[in-house]
Amino acid sequence: MTDQTPLVEMRDIHVSFGGIKAVDGVSCTLNPGEVVGLLGHNGAGKSTLIKVLSGAYRADEGAILINGEEAAISSPRDARRYNIETIYQTLALADNLDAASNLFLGRELTTATGSLDDVRMEAETRKIMGRLNPNFRKFEAPVSALSGGQRQSVAIARAVYFEAKILIMDEPTAALGVQETAMVSELIKQLKSEGISIFLISHDIHDVFDLSDRLTVMKNGRLVDTVRVEDVSQDDVLAMIIAGQRPNGGQITNGG
Amino acid sequence: MSVSPTSGTPQSLPARIARQMELDVRLLGMVVALLVIWVAFDLLTGGRFITPRNLFNLTVQTASVAVMATGMVFVIVARHIDLSVGSVLGFVAMLMGAFQSQWLPGVLGPDNPAIWLLTIGFGLIVGSAIGALQGYIIGYLAIPAFIVTLGGLLVWRGAAWWVTTGQTIAPLDSTFLIFGGGIQGTLGFLWSWIFGAICMVAIVYLTIANRQKRKAFQFPLKPVWAEYTNAITLSAGVILFVGVMNAYPIPERAANRLAEARGIPVPEDGLGWVHGIAIPVVIVAIVALVMTFVARRTKFGRYVFAIGGNPQAADLSGIDTKKMTVYIFTLMGALCALSAVIASARLQSAANDLGTLDELRVIAAAVIGGTSLAGGVGTIYGAILGALVMQSLQSGMALVGVQTSLQSIIIGIVLVAAVWIDQLYRRRIGA
Amino acid sequence: MQGFRDFTRAAAALVVGVGIAGSTAAQAADITVGVSWSNFQEERWKTDEAAMKTALEAAGAAYISTDAQSSTAKQLSDVESLIARGANALIILAQDASAITPAVNKAVQEGIPVVGYDRLIENPDAFYLTFDNVEVGRMQARAVLAAQPSGNYVFIKGSAQDPNADFLHGGQVEVLKEAMDKGDIKVVGEQYTDGWLPANAQRNMEQILTANDNKVDAVVASNDGTAGGVVAALTAQGLEGIPVSGQDGDHAALNRVAVGTQTVSVWKDARELGKAAANIAVALAKGTAPADVEGAQKWTSPGGVEMDSIFLAPVPITRDNLNVVIDAGWITKDAACNGAPAGKVAACN
Repeated sequence: MTDQTPLVEMRDIHVSFGGIKAVDGVSCTLNPGEVVGLLGHNGAGKSTLIKVLSGAYRADEGAILINGEEAAISSPRDARRYNIETIYQTLALADNLDAASNLFLGRELTTATGSLDDVRMEAETRKIMGRLNPNFRKFEAPVSALSGGQRQSVAIARAVYFEAKILIMDEPTAALGVQETAMVSELIKQLKSEGISIFLISHDIHDVFDLSDRLTVMKNGRLVDTVRVEDVSQDDVLAMIIAGQRPNGGQITNGG
Repeated sequence: MSVSPTSGTPQSLPARIARQMELDVRLLGMVVALLVIWVAFDLLTGGRFITPRNLFNLTVQTASVAVMATGMVFVIVARHIDLSVGSVLGFVAMLMGAFQSQWLPGVLGPDNPAIWLLTIGFGLIVGSAIGALQGYIIGYLAIPAFIVTLGGLLVWRGAAWWVTTGQTIAPLDSTFLIFGGGIQGTLGFLWSWIFGAICMVAIVYLTIANRQKRKAFQFPLKPVWAEYTNAITLSAGVILFVGVMNAYPIPERAANRLAEARGIPVPEDGLGWVHGIAIPVVIVAIVALVMTFVARRTKFGRYVFAIGGNPQAADLSGIDTKKMTVYIFTLMGALCALSAVIASARLQSAANDLGTLDELRVIAAAVIGGTSLAGGVGTIYGAILGALVMQSLQSGMALVGVQTSLQSIIIGIVLVAAVWIDQLYRRRIGA
Repeated sequence: MQGFRDFTRAAAALVVGVGIAGSTAAQAADITVGVSWSNFQEERWKTDEAAMKTALEAAGAAYISTDAQSSTAKQLSDVESLIARGANALIILAQDASAITPAVNKAVQEGIPVVGYDRLIENPDAFYLTFDNVEVGRMQARAVLAAQPSGNYVFIKGSAQDPNADFLHGGQVEVLKEAMDKGDIKVVGEQYTDGWLPANAQRNMEQILTANDNKVDAVVASNDGTAGGVVAALTAQGLEGIPVSGQDGDHAALNRVAVGTQTVSVWKDARELGKAAANIAVALAKGTAPADVEGAQKWTSPGGVEMDSIFLAPVPITRDNLNVVIDAGWITKDAACNGAPAGKVAACN
């Protein structure tokens, strides 16, 4: 694995907000077809780090490499050009619009005359939802009328439809019930089997341990370590999250 | 909102019919409210309210506010507000007045047939530029729209005064006056019917085209009878409207004068000319159509609603919300200019206090029409109906002879009550 | 500061005393008239100011001024500063008739006469100078009555919030009362115009015409702006040309008078008002008792305060005397006569 060029490499990323270092020199990688769990407490800096990749924030320092080549990502639009799709914790859905409008938001299908082709967008939405969530029926209702799991599936469908190669999922199951969490977990496995590389962000180890190939742990804006799941126990990872303790016993300096 | 066809919840017959016809119950409620107001005033004035003449006046009186209200829908849907529309209207009206009466005649010679067109073009450019400037300050300098347009309210009203240091400008170009809906500013009998026919063809075409397209993708369809009923009701409305407008004769003296000006001999038994649809109303119809198309069928409109529904989501979806803000206010400015054309042509002069308090009427029209100040929700036809409701109350009370101070009190109460009822309704349907 | 003010006051008293004793033109040069404007941004006051300055210069008095920028609070401190700067007579265009009271009292205590300019200051020690708004109303009604002695009349009044609107209406009714009582004139419509807005006047007029099936023979409108709205409403019914009144001498209205769609615009010459104020201030500064100012009369305000006052008579401008405004340089002949029927208006020939 190590001899292959990672699909994504984030190198020495620094982000600070008004003097507070939210991300302080963090590096991480994502290989093709891999699921990497990004763990840490609330405020550890994982969401900030990942928003740099999705184009929502700009890094003060550091580089992003896609397939070994430096990528300039300064807006969500840029990220999409590299087939990076993000499913935000808040889902980033416009509640007043229906599923199709949300799915195509910012990338609407148009007719020859340039006007919106709502009928075709609805047809495409029906197709992809049929694959991801066959029970989905509410195509005409605004997404505010949908359940948490249904909303999540709309957000995922948006990423999948546009052929994401790199998928970022920020706390995908945080707001869901047991059944819906299971549904989303199945979906993640399905996406992985389709060859999509996924960054899975969570503050809860149970959400990601079984789904991930590797785990990257952050604390106070700094990288603790990146480990392969088969090399560690859940307790080791907990120690990394809580105490910032590397599994081999070393401890990162809590500078800043 | 549980409207999935498979849900087996029992519903009353009217509710089921409404659902199958995909009727907008809110819209229906407003139309009913409007009719109630009309009938009430008709009874109070001994049958003077529901007459061709009064309804014609009502449509013309509503036009200027209605045009701006369509733009205000976009502004409010995108979670902004524009308090400057009345002042922008006044300023643009003064500039257009000076342009057509003092500047252009000197350059092109008086009564040049191009004056009206150049004037309107000039007004639209100025209005758009003002809107763009305000939009830029709101979007890029991140100053709340409330503040920027509150400033604009003062700035443009003051600027309107400076144009001629307070002097009212009159007379205006004779062709320009057509846009005010005076005696010359109507379609007349034949063209009114032609206009009505075009509307009906459009209704039928859109109904069929939409149905065909959904059919091609094998989506669930409305029952055919529901489709027919909708199209027929709308067409009947158009016929009724044209008929009523065409039933309002031009006063004989005015008609004779008009005939004289056009070099038409006056027959013994009079000309029998009628008003027909007023030009400002045609403008409102076109604006409504274009704005509805923009709202529903263009990326711009979709983005406006997305921003209103969730600004962060819109941003993360790659929508340039700052640029959108500039566009939205530019559109609002252009519509203010269009309203300035209607308002000054109607008054046959440009006064620096033109449009005073219009911002409140425009916002009230949009809000009564169902636009939510929380953003994300609103319709163009709702705003126009809202403007019509407001104007009906005002004109009706003037016809009855209610004192102006009492008129303000009543309209203020109606505004608050309308929003309250709307909220109750929304809560009940759980939207 | 206090010492300085005492000194100025003493100096002013001395000057006034000498002025009375000597009563020669040369000593009048020591008179300083302070003018407190409510809001100098309004163009019309510039006309007044020019006239005031000219008149003061002729009398050998100095002119100092302040601008309250529409703030009642600023106007209070403005007046104090004028006193401190040595004004021995004040002309005050009050932003607010009641809020100005403390400033007026202060001036009166210091023995400085106050002229209330154009707007009423309800204070027995202040002198009140304005155009006679009741007379304006009378003039409007007289002109309309002369053109249309009987028939259906409509009153388009001013803003209900403006006391002048009722003064005007009072004058109008005074003139028309006899004909109304006899039944020659029937009032078929009467509305206030919110904010004096022409657009509101137009809508009200439209509704009155609708309510009366166009059976309207004359309209008494309270100013030129509302008259503009009325004429637009009349034109839409082919009724333009029936008598309509107005006031202010708006250029658009004077043009309507020439064209024939408006009967009269009562013109208040701001220069006359400015000149009169200057002369009154100088006279008062010289120690003339308010009651002895030429033309002064006792007048009781709506609040029951008896004041010395002068009401200037405005000039009703009709087709027959349109030359008055043209000759005065108020409006150019071209602007006034644009579109006027040839040979019908003497001033346009």
